[in-house]
Amino acid sequence: MLTLTKYGKILVYTLLAIYATLVLVPFFMMVSNSFKSMRDIYLKPFSLPSELSLKNIIDAWNQAGIGRGYLNSLMIAGSAVVGIVIIASFFAFAISKYEFRGRRFLFIYSMLGLAFPARLAIIPIYLLLRNVNLTNSRLGLIIIYIAVNIPFSVFLLKNFIDGVPNELSEAARIDGANPLQIYRHVVLPLIKPAISIVSIVSFVNVWNDFFFPLIFINDRSKATITLAVSIFFGEYANRWNLLFTSLTLAIAPTIILFLIFSRQFIAGMTQGAIK
Amino acid sequence: MKLAKRYLLLFVLPALILYTLFIIYPLINSLFLSLYSWPGVGEKTFVGLDNFRKVFSSGAFRNEVFNAFWHNVYFYILAASIEIGVGFFIALMLASKIKGARMFRNIVYIPNMIPLVLVGFMWSLYLNPQVGLVNQFLKLIGLGGLAQSWLGQESTALTTIILVNAWRNIGFYVLVLLAAILDINPSLLEAAYIDGASNWKIIWRIIFPLSFSTVRTLAILLFIWSFNVFDMIYALEGVQAGPYRSTDVLGTLFYRTAFGGLGSSAIDMGLGATITVFIFAIIMPVSIFYVYLVEKRQRSA
Repeated sequence: MLTLTKYGKILVYTLLAIYATLVLVPFFMMVSNSFKSMRDIYLKPFSLPSELSLKNIIDAWNQAGIGRGYLNSLMIAGSAVVGIVIIASFFAFAISKYEFRGRRFLFIYSMLGLAFPARLAIIPIYLLLRNVNLTNSRLGLIIIYIAVNIPFSVFLLKNFIDGVPNELSEAARIDGANPLQIYRHVVLPLIKPAISIVSIVSFVNVWNDFFFPLIFINDRSKATITLAVSIFFGEYANRWNLLFTSLTLAIAPTIILFLIFSRQFIAGMTQGAIK
Repeated sequence: MKLAKRYLLLFVLPALILYTLFIIYPLINSLFLSLYSWPGVGEKTFVGLDNFRKVFSSGAFRNEVFNAFWHNVYFYILAASIEIGVGFFIALMLASKIKGARMFRNIVYIPNMIPLVLVGFMWSLYLNPQVGLVNQFLKLIGLGGLAQSWLGQESTALTTIILVNAWRNIGFYVLVLLAAILDINPSLLEAAYIDGASNWKIIWRIIFPLSFSTVRTLAILLFIWSFNVFDMIYALEGVQAGPYRSTDVLGTLFYRTAFGGLGSSAIDMGLGATITVFIFAIIMPVSIFYVYLVEKRQRSA
């Protein structure tokens, strides 16, 4: 760590405080404005709301479809994470602990997806899903999200599984455990931190995504939270109070979760494919 | 260890099938689709390299493609300078012996947890020329002369979007760079201090060279992401990428071409696929270099 002189410290604190203000003020204004009337937003933009009325919240909640958006996003992100964790850890386990032809190829092959964003393939993906009637469907989105998150998850999980001593799985095998049992009882307990990192990162990725729902979902009842709010912004372009409220409602869960689990979130984000 | 075939299938196949079917096959399929003209329903018309001719030889579409392309280039250069440059500077400050570094670290990262598109909507309200908070604030502090239609004039729109993007993303770069800086063996810094080195010298001679591989990786990723920008432009300027296409990037052009958008010409999925192939060709060398670095690191680990 760098050691600072007294003046250095003052300078650093000042700069950091300015930066923190730049980050926090927009959030603060968003929440504050979401309690105001249209008139107060125009006339007294920086003042605190004169009363904490829940009217905006109720209106925005009902009209923007926030509740349904949460539920859809939760369902899609939750299912995708379960799928990603199982499928990617199986794959990483096999290519890390077993010898078979083509395992090095499989690893490099699965890494390609780290470098080529799935957005570039959106038209064929769209056609593929359309052929099997999975456009405008939550299941379609779940499948895509699992596929998209495989490269990163395999990369991270393989790294961790490589660190599990081979003697352990070897000993379990001699004791008569089959590969599935070795995975379940030897490897899985030892890679829990990696599993939670993969879960957090992929959950955030899926929850935050906008592009795939925009293309795949037409039906309002199936809109994710990002899509629900974007439709709302299109239709209520002049109802600023409701717009602020719907933003606050859409963003609140993520921020609250972040404040509770910031340590895990940060570990998750920095232990990805980078360093 | 050897693996019985049925277990091999159980472990490998699900990932392999999903990944191949939904990522690799579609990426390759885009190549083929780019040889057709197709409104998405009905017959595909084989047009050979016509779509590519539209992209490269003169004409309205060529101008649109290259207009968007240069915006992506500008996006990358400015975003990289701000997000990695300023990010490195903030990471250095957070890597100093100060109280509350952890709290600052969390604050810096908060915007990154919010979906890009929602950050875009939030700033579209703040940047509104008449009642947006940014102009109101400028007037409040006596700088009303600077107030302007940030998103409504060609000269400022794209830069404003890049700044909003940086506001949201910089926390990620700060954290990754901070992790790299904190990874440096502390005894190196101590030895330098004993030798009487100044902080600037330590930063320049020790910290920067030792975190350079992280900077390089971030620069590569940001390049790939910059050529796939979409959400932020969509939220702030819509798929028409106004004013007068001054914020159009390949992502928005692609969306208009392949899926349509208010006021855009007929949908052509073949031509849309051509744009993705174009993007693909731009990021391919960089992407391959990235996979090579990742793989090398894994082998040496």
